[in-house]
Formats: sequence, C-alpha cells, structure tokens
Amino acid sequence: MFNDKKIGSLYVAPFVIGFLLFTAFPFVASFVLSLTDAQLQDQLGSANFTGIQNYTEMGRDATFQKSLGVTFFYVFITVPLKLAFALFIAVVLNFKLRAIGFFRTAYYLPSILGGSVAIAIVWRFVFAGDGLINQALEMIGITGVNWLGEPNTAMFSIILLRLWQFGSAMVVFLAGLKAIPEDLYEAADLDGASRLRQFWMITLPLLTPVLFFNFIMQIVQAFQEFNGPYIITGGGPLKSSYLLPLMIYEEGFKYFNLGYSSALSWVLFVIIAVFTAIAFWSQKHWVFYAQDREDKNGGAQK
Amino acid sequence: MSQSATADAGWRKHLPVINAFMRYGILIIIGFMMLYPLFWMIGGSFKNNQEIFSSIGFIPKEPTLDGFKKGWETSTEYTFATYLINTMKIVVPKVIVTVISSVIVAYGFARFAIPGRKLLFALLMATVLLPKSVLLIPQYLMFREFGWLDTYLPLIAPQAFAVEGFFVFMIIQFMRSLPMEMEEAAVMDGCNSFQVLTLVVAPVILPAIISVALFQFMWSMNDFLQPLIYLSSVEKYPVALALKMSIDVTEATSWNEILAMSTIALAPSLILFFVAQRYFVEGITSGAVKG
Amino acid sequence: MTSSSVRLSAVTKSFNGTDVIKGVSLDVKKGELVVFVGPSGCGKSTLLRLIAGLETPTSGEIIIADKDVTYAHPSKRGVAMVFQSYALYPHMTVEDNIAFALKIQGRPKAEIRAKVHEVAEILQLDHLLQRRPKALSGGQRQRVAIGRAIVREPDVFLFDEPLSNLDASLRGQMRVEIARLHRKLGATSVYVTHDQVEAMTLADKIVVLRAGLVEQVGSPMTLYRHPANLFVAGFIGSPRMNILPATFAGSTADSVRIQTAQGSLIIPRKDVSKPASDKIQLGLRPESLSLTAPGAEAHLTGYVTLIERLGGETFAYVTLKEFDCEPIIIKLDGETAVHNHQEVALTIELKRAHLFDADDQALGHAPDFDPAQV
Ligand SMILES: Nc1ncnc2c1ncn2[C@@H]1O[C@H](COP(=O)(O)OP(=O)(O)OP(=O)(O)O)[C@@H](O)[C@H]1O
Ligand SMILES: [Mg+2]
Repeated sequence: MFNDKKIGSLYVAPFVIGFLLFTAFPFVASFVLSLTDAQLQDQLGSANFTGIQNYTEMGRDATFQKSLGVTFFYVFITVPLKLAFALFIAVVLNFKLRAIGFFRTAYYLPSILGGSVAIAIVWRFVFAGDGLINQALEMIGITGVNWLGEPNTAMFSIILLRLWQFGSAMVVFLAGLKAIPEDLYEAADLDGASRLRQFWMITLPLLTPVLFFNFIMQIVQAFQEFNGPYIITGGGPLKSSYLLPLMIYEEGFKYFNLGYSSALSWVLFVIIAVFTAIAFWSQKHWVFYAQDREDKNGGAQK
Repeated sequence: MSQSATADAGWRKHLPVINAFMRYGILIIIGFMMLYPLFWMIGGSFKNNQEIFSSIGFIPKEPTLDGFKKGWETSTEYTFATYLINTMKIVVPKVIVTVISSVIVAYGFARFAIPGRKLLFALLMATVLLPKSVLLIPQYLMFREFGWLDTYLPLIAPQAFAVEGFFVFMIIQFMRSLPMEMEEAAVMDGCNSFQVLTLVVAPVILPAIISVALFQFMWSMNDFLQPLIYLSSVEKYPVALALKMSIDVTEATSWNEILAMSTIALAPSLILFFVAQRYFVEGITSGAVKG
Repeated sequence: MTSSSVRLSAVTKSFNGTDVIKGVSLDVKKGELVVFVGPSGCGKSTLLRLIAGLETPTSGEIIIADKDVTYAHPSKRGVAMVFQSYALYPHMTVEDNIAFALKIQGRPKAEIRAKVHEVAEILQLDHLLQRRPKALSGGQRQRVAIGRAIVREPDVFLFDEPLSNLDASLRGQMRVEIARLHRKLGATSVYVTHDQVEAMTLADKIVVLRAGLVEQVGSPMTLYRHPANLFVAGFIGSPRMNILPATFAGSTADSVRIQTAQGSLIIPRKDVSKPASDKIQLGLRPESLSLTAPGAEAHLTGYVTLIERLGGETFAYVTLKEFDCEPIIIKLDGETAVHNHQEVALTIELKRAHLFDADDQALGHAPDFDPAQV
C-alpha cells in the first residue's frame, strides 16, 4: 500500500539488524567454530584451526553415533504417532458433538504446558520407581518396572511426553477440517460414498496443506527436544535418551568443547535442513492446494 | 423375514446414539488419562509425602498445606517468591518487546514495497525452521563479550529485534486479511503510516497481538535452556531453574514440596490458558490454515 | 480563481509497466457532481484514487482548488473519500469514527464535539453515536462513512461505488439522500458507479471511460441523446441500443439516406461527411421504436420471438426479416397486446435514430443538437 521504500525499510530494520546480529552472524560463526578446537574457558584467539577434524572425530565417537541413532529413533517414532493421533482425535472431535470446546481445551492444554520444567518433573515422578505408574501397576498385581533406569523404557517415557502434547497439532487439524466445505460431503453422500471412503477421498487430500504444516513443525521441534530428556533422564541410562541437543549442550557447556559442540550443532542443522528440503520438494506430489496461492505471501513462502 | 427386517431397523434406529456414546466414551477416557498427571500433581501438592507414595488417587485424604509451606521456603536462602519475581522480570519485558517489534516488522512486510522483500521474507521463514542450538555457542560468546553473562539481557534483548519469525508471520497473516480500504481511509483522514499502525491496524488486530503475547509468555515461562546457560547466581534464577535445582537437592524425600512448587509454577500459565484459550487457538491456526 | 475545482491534465498511471490510465484530462467545476462510468477494470477507481492521492500518477498533473497536488499527501488535498466497503474503523464508536480526522488534525475537543454532532444531525445519526460499526445496518454504515467525509469540510468529495454493497431498495433510498446532500452542501463531488440509474440521476456530468481513456464527457442527457461513439451509445441506456447494419447512400445538409436489408431510410442528421467506408451502423434505442399505428408508415418488419412484461412496460424481442443481426428489442407500453410469433411492423422515430461509421464513431449529429453548447 505504501510505496515509500525508505520508510518501509525502517519498519523492517529491526528484523534485518536482529537477523544479522543474532541469527546470521552466529550461524556463520558456529560453522567457523566447528573447524577449530575452541574451548569455553580460553580466549577465542588461542583456538587452533583444525579443519574438518571435529567432523571426522564424529566417525570415531561412539557417544555421537549412539546419540544420532537415539535422536532418529525418537523423531521417527514421535512425529508419525503424534500426527496420526492428533488427526484421529481431530476427526472424532469434528463430528458435531456437544462440548467439543471442552474436549479441545482438555487436549490442547498439555501442549501449552508440556515444555515446562514443572511438567518434566511431574513426568519424572510419574515414571519413578515408586511413582504413579508403578503404584497403579502394583494395584493390579503387576510388578513395577524401573522405567527411568532401563534404556528402552527411559526412552519410552520421553516419547510419551511428546505424544502427550499432540494438542497443538490437533487444533491445527481441527481448523483445517472446519475449512472443508460441508457440501463436498453431502455430494459424496449422494454418490453413495462410505464414511471411510469420504475420509480417504475428500478429507485427507484437502487436509494435506495442514498436514504438511504440522509435519514440518513437528519434525523441526522433535529434533530440538531438550527439556524432557535433560530433566527426566539426564540422557541416560547408558545414553539411551541422549538426544543430540543434549549432547550439543553438554559438549559445549559441561565439557567446554566449543568446537566439537558447534560441529555437532551443524550436523543437527543439516539433518533438519535435509528433512525440510525433502518435505518442501516433495510437496508438489502430495500436497493439494485448492486454489493457487497467487503471491499471497509475498511469493516467498513456498 | 419381516421380523428380522424390523429388528434390523430397530437396531439401526439406535445406531447414532451408540455411535455418539462410543465417541464420547473414547474422548472422555483419553481426556481423563491425559489430564491425570496434572490432577495428580495438583492433588499431590496437598498430600503428605507418605500419601503420595501409597495412593494413586488424586484427591488428598487429609489435605495439608505442608508442601506449599516448605516448598515456598525452598532449600536455598531465597523463597520461591524470589524466583517467581525473577521469572516475571524476564517474561514481562520479553513479551512487551516481542509484541512491539513483531508488529512493527510485520507491518513493514505486509504493507510496504521494500527492496528485497521476497528474500527477507524467505529469511524470516527460515528462522522458524532453524534449530536454535546452531546459534547457541556463538550467541553465548557474543553475550560474554558484551558483558551480559548472569544478566537477563541475553534472554530479552534479541526479542526486541523480531527474531521469532513465527510471531511476525502470524501477525503478517492477520494484517493481510484486513481490508486495505480501512487503512486508506485513515491515510485520507490524515494519518502517517505509523499512526495508521498504532491507531487503526494495531487495535483491529488486537486478537493476534494477544495471541503473540500469550505464546511468548508461555514459551518464556517454559524456557529452560537459555537461563541455564546465561544465569549463574541463584538469586537471579527464574522458576524453571529453581525447580530443577530443587529436584537435584530434595527429590528423594519431599515430593509434595516439589509438586506444590510445580503447581505454583504452572498456575500463571494454567490461568491464562483458561481465560484466553481462544487466542491460542486463533494464533496457532492462523499460520497454518490461512497460509 | 477559476471555476474549476479539480483539473487533471494528461494524467497517466501504470502499474508494473501496465498502462492503466493512458492520458486523461478533465475539468470538474466547483459544485459539480461528476460521475465516472465504464466497464469493470477500465480504471475508474484508479482515476479516483489518483485524485485522492492514494496513488501517484506516472505523469501528468492534478490540480485541486488551484493548487498543484500531484504529489501531495492525501490529507493535504482537501479531499475526502467514501469507500465501497465503508472502511469504518471497527474498534471505534460512530462518534469516534466521524471525529477521527479532526482528532488527527489536533482540533480542540469542544470544536470536534460540536462538528460531529452537527454532521450526525444532518445524517440522522444522532442516536447512533455511541454504537460500534458492527451494530449498524448497511445503510447506517454508509451514512457514517459519508459523515466521516463531510466533517472534514473538504473541497472535493470522492465516492467509489458507495452504494454497491446495499440491497436494491436501500440503494434507491441512499441515492436520493446523496442527491439531497449534494444539493444542500453544494460540494464538488466525483462519483464512481456501475449503476446507470445512479449515474443518470445524480450526475451533472458523466465521464465515460474505457481502457484508461475518456470516451466522452457530458451531461446525462447529452450522452443519452448524442453519444459520440458506439461504445458510449451501448453503455448509456437500458436496455442497450439496437445496432443494425446499413450502407451509406448519400447525404444532404440535414439528412442521410441509408440502405438497409429492408429498403432505404432517410434519417434527419446534420454535419454528416461522407464516411470512409459505405458500411455504417444504424443505432435505434428500444424506446424510439414502436408498433406501426394504423395509417402510419412502417419502417421495419419482423416476428416477435420473446416478450418480457414488466408491468408498466413491455419489452418485445423482434427478429427482423432479411437482416443478418441479433433480434432487436423494442419498448412498448405495459398493456400492449402482442404475442409470440406475431408478425409486426415497426415505426422508427427517425430524428432519434443514430448513425455510426465503420469505426464506431457517430456520423454527424441529430438536428436538435448544438455541438457548440457542450
Ligand atoms: N495496485 C495495483 N497494481 C496493479 N494493477 C492494478 C492496481 N490497481 C489496479 N490495477 C489494475 O488496473 C486496472 C484498473 O483497475 P480499477 O480498479 O481502476 O478498475 P475499475 O474501473 O475501478 O473496475 P471496477 O469497476 O471493477 O471497480 C485493472 O486492470 C486492475 O487490475
Ligand atoms: Mg473500482
């Protein structure tokens, strides 16, 4: 609407400055650091350039490999399950039920609180040796499990914490479902299509843009999970829940290996970048946009 | 033959009821299981420790405020009040600068022809996808150079520059849905662009602004890693760090204290959520559905 | 001081290299209500927005009240605009909406109050002042939008299809109200509309635009009686003027002889020079055709193919014998006895007939028209 480029630039100036100072510069600096042996306690000037040594080091670092495997496992389990569950509940809620507002609130609440330390602590207590779950199992005569003490079950508790927060994805699905015109279903009813068929032929295709959005957001978030494992399991036992962000933090701020930590963070970045790139690249094959979105987002969003 | 047909019809007549019954059944059971940890936390903060370990019910048999009293004292030289106040000292300014900077930047994107707009917008969206851990160490070193360690500045200052692309994007979406004519009317009425923003656009997109404020509030309340890195003196700890510290110290024994303090820690978010739920829903869906 | 209130000279505007306004010059006299009409996308709104200052011209000059305002801020031009969507501020009461411009100007509170109330009274909004726009009907919103313009006492009012969001009956009502208001305030106004009735009834002067160019400027009756070309002829008047193919067969000082598929006609017409091509077009408005009365001369014959009875008037579609063209429409009295497939003879009110050359330009003019007067 306003054509004055100078004033316009003034409005976006905070972002440009902030982006350069707090994003672009650290982003590049992090890569540079990853090529050095910088230590937290030393002056930066005393760091040596070591080339790709930090990256080759990862090939020999069993902890890293373990962490990488655990991270992929975590993401590959949580993202599909969370999306599927969120979609399922959204579909159920989308029938014209009474009190849908109530259920939506109840299901959404955990994703608002779930990232907090307080919830992580509650989780830790729930899964503790004498915690809620073991007490419940005991009541029905099953001997409890040392949830946080066993590699498999420790991971399970962390995964469950993420699944517990399916609400935000559900709310987005629900809004997407609401946007599907009713008469499409009426037309399908007249054509004699079954409910299940309607879901596959109408609901799912029209929901793909929302699914795409949720998928990207969930992937990006899952790869960055920190609070849960840090507080609930501390990454253990036997590094069984030692997600990459945790390792990045500990390498940097516990062992002071800034170079190695930076290299790890770049690996994480590349992984996320590859996943989002694949998602964006593949979207033309499976994401169905009802109308062409003509430059609505400054053309840059896609 | 005809009998079975009527029986069949009778069964079909009840189908919607059975269907609805099953749906509600599923929803209620899942909902209850989901919220149970929260109930248990709140109930547990009014129990004594022994009861926490002996009953899985969430309604305390002999309600006591012991957990709150002792938990409030904390194991440090400061009461929990200090940590709550510290949290607010971080969260409130953070929310304010986030809202102001996001609205201003979004307005620039939504309404101005700026050089390199497409590129800038792409960068904005990229910040949403960029993992924060890549920036962690250089940012830390930078703030160390600034002499900002053990202050709240590293937590707050970057937010004054609209670094959360998600918020900016959300507001841009809302602004784009506004009719341009309204702003043109304001221009004709004599407003300059900044007055159009403050007197017309901002009040009209207030729901979006509230959404941004609420999300930033929640996220900042939940934020743990940043304070963990930047704050070293206990007297400056926010609630998140204080809670973590308390489980390191007293976990084995005093669950009721920790649950009580967790309850208090979550109370502001809980209350806000229930009061302003619709803004959360609007906020999170505006980006996904309108986009 | 000239008598012109708005003057455009050779104004052009292009968006990203596309020319939307291709050189428009125009004078709006003080106190005049000028209406822009034209097909969708022809640049009416753009021209209005150029006057408002919401767009800046690519070239040319805009002068309002003798000041060059080509590059002036919209609020510094002495113009006020009423938008199609009303564009009220939803978060303000009616009173604040109307007062907004004055507040921005920093006028004293008491003055603002007095003015707002004065305007509210003129528009019968007094009892609504504390409401929000959401709680108003369409007509009331429109009045608030007008009030917001009036309160600034501008030199020029600009209206962009202000009534198009209202339903038909309300539109008629508001149209009368705007006419009344214009008479009362005597303010110079530029008014964009799609609606012929609005254009014909409100305008002192109509500007017909096509593809960024002015086709003709004149009073409503001038455009109706003496369209300068086929485009204007087709645009003004409803139902549209019928066009029949004909050939030029010679002219005298005040008549033209033409040859049609059904024979020759002599049309009273002045200042006709021989057209470049013999192929010409005969334009007949539905209301200048009638069923031939007993004893009168028949000019055309054909069959009725469709009848539309609207009560007070009846439109008959007649397929002409011999002609290679669409059925023509004639306007008859409501009670006229005609029926489908009836063979009819038609009489043309010859001095109301129009002639256009092969390039669609009017061929000469009617005998009662004085080109010097326009
Ligand atoms: N800001 C703009 N950028 C690019 N093209 C524009 C812009 N504004 C208008 N146009 C183009 O200019 C032409 C004229 O538009 P304008 O809105 O003036 O038409 P109009 O006569 O008011 O049409 P309508 O009767 O439909 O309102 C259209 O082709 C339109 O697409
Ligand atoms: Mg228009």
